[in-house]
Amino acid sequence: MHLALGSASLIMLVPYLWALTASVKSRAEIFTPTPQWWPRAWQWSNYVDVFRYAPFEIYFLNTLIVVLGILAVQLITITLAGFAFARLQFRYREALFYLFLIQMMLPIHAVIVPNYLTIKSLGLLNTQLAMMLPFWASGYGTFLMRQAFRQIPAELEEAALLDGCTGLRLLWSIMIPQVRPVLLAFSLISVVTHWNDFLWPLIVTDTPRVRTLTIGLAMFVQQESGADWTLLMAATVMVTAPLLVAFLFLQRRFVESFMYAGLR
Amino acid sequence: MAHSRASWRGQGGAQAFLYLLPSLLFLAIFTYWPMLRAIAMSLLEWNLSRPEPVFAGLRNYATLLADPVFHLVLRNTAMLAAVAIPISIALGLVLAILLNEPLGFLRGVYRAAVFYPTMIPMAAAAMLWVWLFNPSIGLVNYYLGKLGLPRVEWLYDMTWALPAVMISWIWKNVGYLTILYLAGLQAVPTELLEAASVEGAGFWQRVRYVTLPFLGPTTVFVVVVSLINSFQVFDAVHIMTQGGPADRSNVLVYFLYQQAFRFWDIGVASALTAFFVAGLLVFVVFVVGQMERGVFYEV
Repeated sequence: MHLALGSASLIMLVPYLWALTASVKSRAEIFTPTPQWWPRAWQWSNYVDVFRYAPFEIYFLNTLIVVLGILAVQLITITLAGFAFARLQFRYREALFYLFLIQMMLPIHAVIVPNYLTIKSLGLLNTQLAMMLPFWASGYGTFLMRQAFRQIPAELEEAALLDGCTGLRLLWSIMIPQVRPVLLAFSLISVVTHWNDFLWPLIVTDTPRVRTLTIGLAMFVQQESGADWTLLMAATVMVTAPLLVAFLFLQRRFVESFMYAGLR
Repeated sequence: MAHSRASWRGQGGAQAFLYLLPSLLFLAIFTYWPMLRAIAMSLLEWNLSRPEPVFAGLRNYATLLADPVFHLVLRNTAMLAAVAIPISIALGLVLAILLNEPLGFLRGVYRAAVFYPTMIPMAAAAMLWVWLFNPSIGLVNYYLGKLGLPRVEWLYDMTWALPAVMISWIWKNVGYLTILYLAGLQAVPTELLEAASVEGAGFWQRVRYVTLPFLGPTTVFVVVVSLINSFQVFDAVHIMTQGGPADRSNVLVYFLYQQAFRFWDIGVASALTAFFVAGLLVFVVFVVGQMERGVFYEV
């Protein structure tokens, strides 16, 4: 059992480890006929050099803004909608819920062309707002929150109602504390998903000023056209590092969140 | 109790409307409207040589259907789903079953090693594999040589470009599927497993007769998620092959991107979008039907 899992783990780790060693090698050492796992001279300066060719600090900042901007609005929209579907009675509730499910199943990739034209006519090309807008409603998040709100016992709500606690105050002070673990799980998944977004940010941006890490990496690849592998791997490692470090420290949290709320 | 329920049912409509409004606004603009608009635009001739759109009937659909690249793209997309999904599901299932056994402190290590690619952007994962698949100094060809197998040009090879994309996709997704199966395994009652052990069932017998029957719902879910993901492959193709050589690794979303943002043919791209959306909706109706039947009881 340990043999099977050990070799599987090794195979999974090799691609990243191989990039790590390449990222600190000298340019000459890349071309040895037999692969060298341990660099002879550790060239940390590769990581500094990357910044000379592309503004990765700006990409990093943009990614942070976009990811957190998406999450902040999502938390509001999915809490409100999830609560409505779980605890309020209204006409067409089922039908409306199916409308939300459509977005969960219909990936944004399918409708990039009309969405691009919408963003363009709103004059929002090359803005961080453009990268966030289509994700501000989340059918999937609503689905999760509906499940979570449903599990709150009715007595809790009734006691609050008898005390005269209604509307948004009921939601904020009684209901939200009950669903905090689900909000956290959704947040982790949202951050990972949008940190990794590629196609949509690629389409709506064409200047380094607003670009995110993944797009910055792809541009860097084109600009270097595969010539300097040490720099390319250093850039790749840099783009992946923030989430991987977070994962190493919060492994259980991440795994539990994905277990609970697997779909993106 | 009856009193309080009745009191909020009355105002529920207005309150619910307000709570749903923010979501519905964004859904309307970026999900429903674009679906309808794509259908409308698919009936227009609107491209570089005709910047002002004119009505074209179903000509864009005809163009698409007559395009041999489109057929190749559909075949590649189907191939990717048909090959990569079963492999990643099988691997995910086996890894989950193994990881669910008592393993001591190493379990965390194995789990991290299997799961970490989920945290990596597909674009970055694709870069790792471009480096591994490098024909002259890549690690893959080096070890193939050591095993006495022929070296392959991988991303530059008509036959091997698509499999190379699949390999990177499987590597990136298998940990995620493993976690989904690990979640599913928590539904298997331990008493049943213990009873089977007492009856003298070995490890694989327990898996076959006790564990697997409980994983049906998880598998349906995993297949659906994987299919939806496989229709959307873009990042890996963009980074690794640009659809080449000769469109041998071109897939649906990459083809859509080319039509719209490389060739600026909005009409044909819209026809493709309408086709894509219609296909997905049929798929969704099918999946929702499954949900109604309670397959998704846990998620």
